[in-house]
Amino acid sequence: MNKWIDFSLKNRLLAATLAVLVMAAGYMSYTKLPIDAFPDVSPSLVQVFTETEGLAPEEIEKYITFPVETSMNGLPDVELIRSVSNFGLSVVNIYFKDGTDIYFARQLVNERLQEAREQIPEGFGDPKMGPISTGMGLILFYYLEDTTGQYSLTELRTIQDWLIKYQLQTVPGVTEVLGIGGWEKQFQVMINPDALLRYDVTIQNVIEKIKANNLNVGAQFIERNSEEFIVRSVGLVTNISDIENIVIKTKDGTPVFLKQLADVKVGGAVRRGVQTRDGIEEVVSGMVVKLYGSNSSTVIGHVEEKMAEINKALPEGVRIVPYYQQKELVEAAVNTVIRALIQGIILVTIILILFMGSLRPSIVVIISLPFSILFALIGMYMFNISVNLMSFGGLAIAIGMMVDGTIVVVENIDRLLRAAPKDEPRIHVVARAGKEVVRPVVFAIVIIIVVFLPLFTLRGVEGKTFRPLAYTVSMAMLGSLIFAVILAPLFSFLIMKRPSVKKRKVAEPEQSRENFIVRFLNILYLPVIRYFVKHRIVAIILGVVLLGGGAFVYPRLGSEFTPTLQEGTIVLRLTMAPSISLNESTRITQIVERRVMKVPEVEHVVTRIGRGEVGAHTDPVNSAEMYILLKPVDEWRHAETQEDIEKVIRREVGEIPGVLSNFTQPIQMTVDELLEGVRAELAIKLYGDDLDRLKETADQIANVIRKVPGATDVQTDQVSGTPQLLIQVNRQAIALYGVNIEDVQEVIRAAVGGETAGQLFEGVKRFDILVRYGEEDRKDITQIRRILIEAPNGTRIPLEQLAEIRELVGPRQITRENSQRFITIQCNVEGRDIGSFVAGGQQAIEQNVNLPTGYFVTWGGQFRLQQQANKRLGVVIPVTLLVIFLLLYSSFSSLKNTLLILLNIPLALVGGIVALWLTNQNLSVPSSVGFIALFGIALENGMVMVTYINQLVRDGMPVDAASVKGASLRLRPVLMTALTTALGLIPLLMATGTGSEVQRPLATVVTGGLVTSTLLTLLVIPSIYKWFAINVNYAIKSEEK
Amino acid sequence: MKQKIKSGFSGSRIWFILILFFITSGSWQCSNTGSDQNAVHIEEDNHTSGEQAEEQVVIMSDKVMKEFNIETARAAAGNLDIYIQLPGEIVIPPANLAHVHPRFPGVVKEVKKQTGDAVKAGEVLAVIESNQSLSDYVLKSQIDGIITEMHITRGEMVDDNIHGFVIADLSTVWAYLQIYRKDLPSIHPGQPVMIIAETGSPKVKGTIDYISPIINEETRTATARVVLRNSGYQWKPGMFITGKVTVSGSYVKILIPKTAIEMLDDKPVVFIRKGERFYPSKIVTGKENNEFVEVLDGLKEGQVYAARHAFTLKAELQKREFGEGHGH
Repeated sequence: MNKWIDFSLKNRLLAATLAVLVMAAGYMSYTKLPIDAFPDVSPSLVQVFTETEGLAPEEIEKYITFPVETSMNGLPDVELIRSVSNFGLSVVNIYFKDGTDIYFARQLVNERLQEAREQIPEGFGDPKMGPISTGMGLILFYYLEDTTGQYSLTELRTIQDWLIKYQLQTVPGVTEVLGIGGWEKQFQVMINPDALLRYDVTIQNVIEKIKANNLNVGAQFIERNSEEFIVRSVGLVTNISDIENIVIKTKDGTPVFLKQLADVKVGGAVRRGVQTRDGIEEVVSGMVVKLYGSNSSTVIGHVEEKMAEINKALPEGVRIVPYYQQKELVEAAVNTVIRALIQGIILVTIILILFMGSLRPSIVVIISLPFSILFALIGMYMFNISVNLMSFGGLAIAIGMMVDGTIVVVENIDRLLRAAPKDEPRIHVVARAGKEVVRPVVFAIVIIIVVFLPLFTLRGVEGKTFRPLAYTVSMAMLGSLIFAVILAPLFSFLIMKRPSVKKRKVAEPEQSRENFIVRFLNILYLPVIRYFVKHRIVAIILGVVLLGGGAFVYPRLGSEFTPTLQEGTIVLRLTMAPSISLNESTRITQIVERRVMKVPEVEHVVTRIGRGEVGAHTDPVNSAEMYILLKPVDEWRHAETQEDIEKVIRREVGEIPGVLSNFTQPIQMTVDELLEGVRAELAIKLYGDDLDRLKETADQIANVIRKVPGATDVQTDQVSGTPQLLIQVNRQAIALYGVNIEDVQEVIRAAVGGETAGQLFEGVKRFDILVRYGEEDRKDITQIRRILIEAPNGTRIPLEQLAEIRELVGPRQITRENSQRFITIQCNVEGRDIGSFVAGGQQAIEQNVNLPTGYFVTWGGQFRLQQQANKRLGVVIPVTLLVIFLLLYSSFSSLKNTLLILLNIPLALVGGIVALWLTNQNLSVPSSVGFIALFGIALENGMVMVTYINQLVRDGMPVDAASVKGASLRLRPVLMTALTTALGLIPLLMATGTGSEVQRPLATVVTGGLVTSTLLTLLVIPSIYKWFAINVNYAIKSEEK
Repeated sequence: MKQKIKSGFSGSRIWFILILFFITSGSWQCSNTGSDQNAVHIEEDNHTSGEQAEEQVVIMSDKVMKEFNIETARAAAGNLDIYIQLPGEIVIPPANLAHVHPRFPGVVKEVKKQTGDAVKAGEVLAVIESNQSLSDYVLKSQIDGIITEMHITRGEMVDDNIHGFVIADLSTVWAYLQIYRKDLPSIHPGQPVMIIAETGSPKVKGTIDYISPIINEETRTATARVVLRNSGYQWKPGMFITGKVTVSGSYVKILIPKTAIEMLDDKPVVFIRKGERFYPSKIVTGKENNEFVEVLDGLKEGQVYAARHAFTLKAELQKREFGEGHGH
């Protein structure tokens, strides 16, 4: 290590150039770093969607979900397979181990999908993988505003699907644009069943004829006069009248045209989603999905540019209006940390100047800040970490620690420069001073880095959340180590001067060379430390009292996983009765929208009901997500924070008859859903086979949970409650007429559900031609009973003579996990920590619910993640402590010294715990990270103190005297490092911006812990040093005796 | 001194244990406070079960009802007509049809009438020279009517097996309606029936006067006949029509729109309003048509019930059922 100091002092130009290069490289890295709001915590997940219009959940599960699921079994690195079979949609989520390359995973899934396709019956849909994106991929939502009021929802949807969508998809980084709302244009052939009977044709004839009269072909080319003429035959239908004039049959030379059998018109396709706005209208909307791994802020930027371009190309009066963009969130989150970072730097600078008393050493120390930060940025670039709340939060936390190493070095250089003989060359003094402290400095910084190691072992969400922080802290500390060891002596040599002769005279007693603040503090401190050293018992009492306080407060703390990040966008989720129709849910949603609009702070409400194009959302029609767009904060009258405004809205919305509502946020919602398949903090899963029993037991559990205090928003998955019209073909009846089941079912499918009979091209736009009975002829059970089926001999038989038709209530969705059906009971916990809630809940279920054999319950959601984290940290933290212990031991070569320093840890913990308690916060992952950081700082302080006292003792001073003197001399560095760290955190403590709620517990713990740990370092350590003194101590003592 | 050092060490041991306590107990592990709070929850439990006496009620103010467009009506008597719709077509009554044949083969000398001409009984239609007698004879209309077909041209050699003219008396026509097997028992002669043309008009009231005793082997349907006056010739034979048969018309004591009925636990209910409260009441339904239904039990005359958008009430009830549960 000494060599490094010599090297940099000898090759000053080289070292300085290297320093500048590192900083330049850091800046370059910064410009290239992707910027996100938060670290993306989405799991490595491949989603497989299969859309089969009109199929009930049972059929979806049987024909589609099951083959897809089973074909995915046995893939390498698959952790979990979860599926949802909904009406008309099968979603299979294949979760891979964290860190699995997403493209690799997709490739694996794709290969197996081929297998699955073979097992899915013809016409039951084609399984497709979801967009290459993550839970944070929904970066921008927009709707189309039509100020002219001239465009129908069908026309607007066509603009969205055929113009905007394809244009936006060309933007680099956009993987998909999904449309919802309005009506997808469709040419509808509404058959009159009476006419079918009269003209003696069947619906199948009609479909065949339409298909047979709608195509273009190519017929190679002919050669004429050395030229090639391409031969093509054009026979596509191009408009409604072409379709109308398709001849279905010819009787006695008279053609029967389609128009005689059916009404042909432009209509909207069957839809499973609607988008509404402000309680006044339906709108057409779209969402932009970001490609996995691309930089949100750049992509959003490009999307916005493209939108401006598209807006110009849109018809007069039609405009794209974004209503949710992650950009604002990204900006807000990054602003929060950058502001904290800058404020931290300023505060640290002020402290430095105050304590150092002179400008030049302060400058050297301050240079270490940009150096360490820029060094960390290089690391971020290399480890592919984006600029986000956590990674930059790490830098903000580390600010105070980054300067510590350099402070010690510079302080020593400063001291020796004053003390050294005048004839000693300045460069020698600097080198000597540097070498004197380099060893403890290196150890101290290495210990801080080691302390952060447990964070690297975190997995899953907490890993993805806090690993960036651990990386940046470690990198910044490494940077500060390099600076302290190699560059600090160099810069000190270049910048610092020897004090003038006049000053040196005054500066004779070592203490008085301190500036007035330190002198003043010392005046207060000296008598106290003398008292403590004399009355060690008081010191011990102080320590025990503090510990007792901690032990008293600790059980009173609640626990949670990670405080909710305020995203700045409020989403009100509505869940309506499972049997509700889309029309009714749209009506109800608009009523609720109007209620929300009454809140003066609300500017707009845009709601998505159900699902649009498959890829992002899979919600059924009874679920609505209401994006509440607020006016700028300074126009608010009733509230100040997002939480307040939620309360105001909740009050205004009140009870909604027949609707359950809860508040959430866009990213939170999506990520939660990807993680657990549910959107609540807590998910209780009940596994079993029989759908009815599952439902019954789940309802019982929900009732029990609802009575556990703290439970809010308790909801059972609405797995049942969809009315069905079951048409069961009677085999004996069809045998009489010689009809096949398939013949019956095909007619039912086409007549009631509609069947696509080709497409109509308008340029490149293509629209389905759908053949279906007219609405009047299929709208209710009596009409369906009368559907005529043709027997081979031409006889027409009404459906009711061939089948039993009955109404029943069937499942709405079937959820499966690892090939087993399950139901989720979800809930949020309010005013209580999840940990104790879960304990209470488990007990309550055990007592009150009788689980059928083969049925079992698991607890998931945030709670599960907590347990995992607990378990892992339970191993890693003791290991880390052991490593620290060894490091300390090798540094001090004294078991007792090591123990003395380790004493800092419990006392630091106490401060953190009390601070959390006082500020009414919970134990959580961020606060644990705070405790981890606290360990490092506390140990560092202890080391500084013990090292110096040791030195004095080695110099032959009696232990008591050495304790007092050492303590008073080290007051400045100990206070300085503690203050810089604490003040560096103050901005995070005070911040109210987006993301501050995650940083605050961390900063609280560190700040609180620093208070007690500094107290310990300054009062308790010197006083009980005697019992832990190094061996020299014994030697001296025995001499005294 | 040594002792002191020892005690120092033991002190540090305690602290070490404390450290381990803090760490191994985990920073976020749940504490025992959970069970304390459980005690409170049992109290709450009792509390809520006390409130459960008033189950199955939805309280809704007029304002909210208006907001959610829930309309009420007073249960009352009414006429319930039950229809069956039958497909059919217009045919010419066979008795109104006359075929005019040349009596002997011969050459057509003169054609006096054209297709579409109205003719009277006895009016001469054409003159034919007989091959046998080489004398002329005339073809005369047997009935008053319109010439609907003509297969005779001047100079043509006609055989005696073609019908030269078809004359139809369209002043009355028949509507033939097809009856599916299932509807047969409820359709009888004498029932009023509304005959509606495919295009919606004309539309006229009639009466079933005959039902075929035989079921058509091919279509497996029976046929009902309705005689229609056709003075303006608006009913064109061959026209597709729909017959709306009033199967039974009756005066029922309680008649409600079908929109008022919701299924609750697989049973039909209506929501009866008392003050601001809606109670679901299980009903027994009687006869019904597409829009209305007779209530036999469960709703009394004069009671106010939710007639439209009652679904919201049902949804609210289900929500509350989740909310308060049947835990006991």
